Amino acid sequence: MTPFAARSRKLWRSARLSLQLLAAHRLRTALSVTGLLVGVAAVMVMVAIGRGAEQRVVERVRAMGTDLLIVTAAPAPRIAGRQRQVATTTLMRPADARAIADESAFAIAAAPAVHRSLVARSDGRNTTVAVTGTTPEGLRIRNVHAATGRLYDEGEDRERRRVAVLGPVLARTLFGATDPVGREIRIGTTPFEVIGVARVRGVDAGGADLDNAIAIPLETALRRVLNVPYIDAIYVQARSSAHLEALERDVRARLHERHRVRPGTPEPLVVQNQAVILRTERSATRAFNQLIVGVAALALVVGGIGILAVMLMSVRERTREIGLRRALGATRGDIRRQFLLESTMLAAAGGAAGVAVGLAASLAASLAGRWELVFPWRAAAAGVACSTVLGIGVGAIPAARAARQEPIAALRAE
Amino acid sequence: MPGTTSANVIQASGLTKSYRKGALETPVLQGVSLTIARAEFVAIRGTSGCGKSTLLNILGLLDQPDSGGYLLNGVDFSQADDDARSSARNQRIGFVFQQFHLLDRASAVQNVMLPLLYAEDEPADGAARAARALLAVGLSHRMHHLPGELSGGEQQRVAIARALINDPALILADEPTGNLDERNGAEVMEIFKRLHLAGRTIVLVTHDRALAGQADRVLLMQDGRVAVAGAA
Repeated sequence: MTPFAARSRKLWRSARLSLQLLAAHRLRTALSVTGLLVGVAAVMVMVAIGRGAEQRVVERVRAMGTDLLIVTAAPAPRIAGRQRQVATTTLMRPADARAIADESAFAIAAAPAVHRSLVARSDGRNTTVAVTGTTPEGLRIRNVHAATGRLYDEGEDRERRRVAVLGPVLARTLFGATDPVGREIRIGTTPFEVIGVARVRGVDAGGADLDNAIAIPLETALRRVLNVPYIDAIYVQARSSAHLEALERDVRARLHERHRVRPGTPEPLVVQNQAVILRTERSATRAFNQLIVGVAALALVVGGIGILAVMLMSVRERTREIGLRRALGATRGDIRRQFLLESTMLAAAGGAAGVAVGLAASLAASLAGRWELVFPWRAAAAGVACSTVLGIGVGAIPAARAARQEPIAALRAE
Repeated sequence: MPGTTSANVIQASGLTKSYRKGALETPVLQGVSLTIARAEFVAIRGTSGCGKSTLLNILGLLDQPDSGGYLLNGVDFSQADDDARSSARNQRIGFVFQQFHLLDRASAVQNVMLPLLYAEDEPADGAARAARALLAVGLSHRMHHLPGELSGGEQQRVAIARALINDPALILADEPTGNLDERNGAEVMEIFKRLHLAGRTIVLVTHDRALAGQADRVLLMQDGRVAVAGAA
């Protein structure tokens, strides 16, 4: 037999014997690892939920496009004492969007848009909704797709047709379960034909419900509903998300030039960068992850104390066994290794059980909350590994105490 | 080593040992010298507190004398470190205690194999050896019983099998029949006598005159000294 095989066989026999002896105090052994188990399980659930939340945020931002800039007018500077100030100064025209699309090397598309909060009515039901007037290109940039019916086209936009695409939440509010396609609604006082219902898009980063909304052609909105020549926003699609920052600088420079913004005046534009939003959301989840690490550390400390207490008790109770083993030839090192092995086995078992319980709880939570479970493999591995290391760490004290016992004193103990 | 012969398993000279409790120092051994030859069966007899158990612990390398020399199998252990003494306990000595000292959660054969865990070169045939040792004490039908399922006499026989597993030259027994009834005690003594006939050196500590009488030689201890030494 090779020395390694002999040693591992010996280790295995020693471990099995230790487990048999620990099994003598089943309840106490179970209680000792409970702290660790609960701690690790709680961390697993938090990680799973955190991952799920992060994934949903990322998907939400992705759904709106990570390669998207939204240019809006900055709020007007308020002047103290003057009443009835207009909230925003608006200076953009549809031509600005065309210029960006045509001239910027970083943009592959740009679309003008207007936004208003208006009352929509149908058969006596009415509700206030966000109305967006934009071109078919704008719908494409913003990832609006028809779930039923269809979207409007360039011709309908040019001809200022009164056609509307409803968000699914609004469709339910106005029409309940019946199909709204082909029905008539009024936006303000203007009648519109519903030609489609959009797919579910969720809530945007600012918290606005994208599904409680109406999209209508830009020209219709400008000429038939709002009677204004200017637009509120330009949607710009970048060549790729890597080009977003360059695109943002480019768009600002072009708009400043087109509108003769003098240097030194307050910035008239707000540029919403989807990549920045994604980054912000990510940093929020990072903060959450740091919290998880803190909780995990706390769980390990609490779990470690539990195991330490039981191991110290075990050393005291098994004084005679220690004496016997020493009499039969165990060195101090052998005794130390035995108790280290025991605390490591306890901690590893507690950690592994915690991972199992945590995963089961996460799975149950994901089924109940109907979110997708992101299986936290790395956290599971880290949970078992940290528990094992913890076992070695907290086992050191009782192991040293066991190794210090003098054989005759230990044998005589009752 | 000069002046030693390996014909003597035990060669002790001038062993002293005292226990300190606070300021009070109680001498237990006051210069014990003795020699035990290979294959001898020696009984150490004395009243309780005469120091016979302390002497046995020193002979068994469980305790160290304050002064004096001790050779086991011709090797000087008076200055040996813990690892060397542990190794010698494992390889050269088999202990049998009054309280049996079995692990009550481990089966008979596991108890017998316990010393193998601490052997430097674990024999490949450990299980077979344990079975042979249990057969030698007449317990081959009880291999997988827990100590709680065995009678006192059987438990002590398991302990003897455990003492034999590493094939030691010396067997030290401390009141091995003290917790047994007469019949079981006699059975255990029969085993010791058989082991002695097979060539093992046996040192038996007892307060019982009749038991001591079954040995080749009796050392009577009194007040930390060997008072009378002679053949039984």
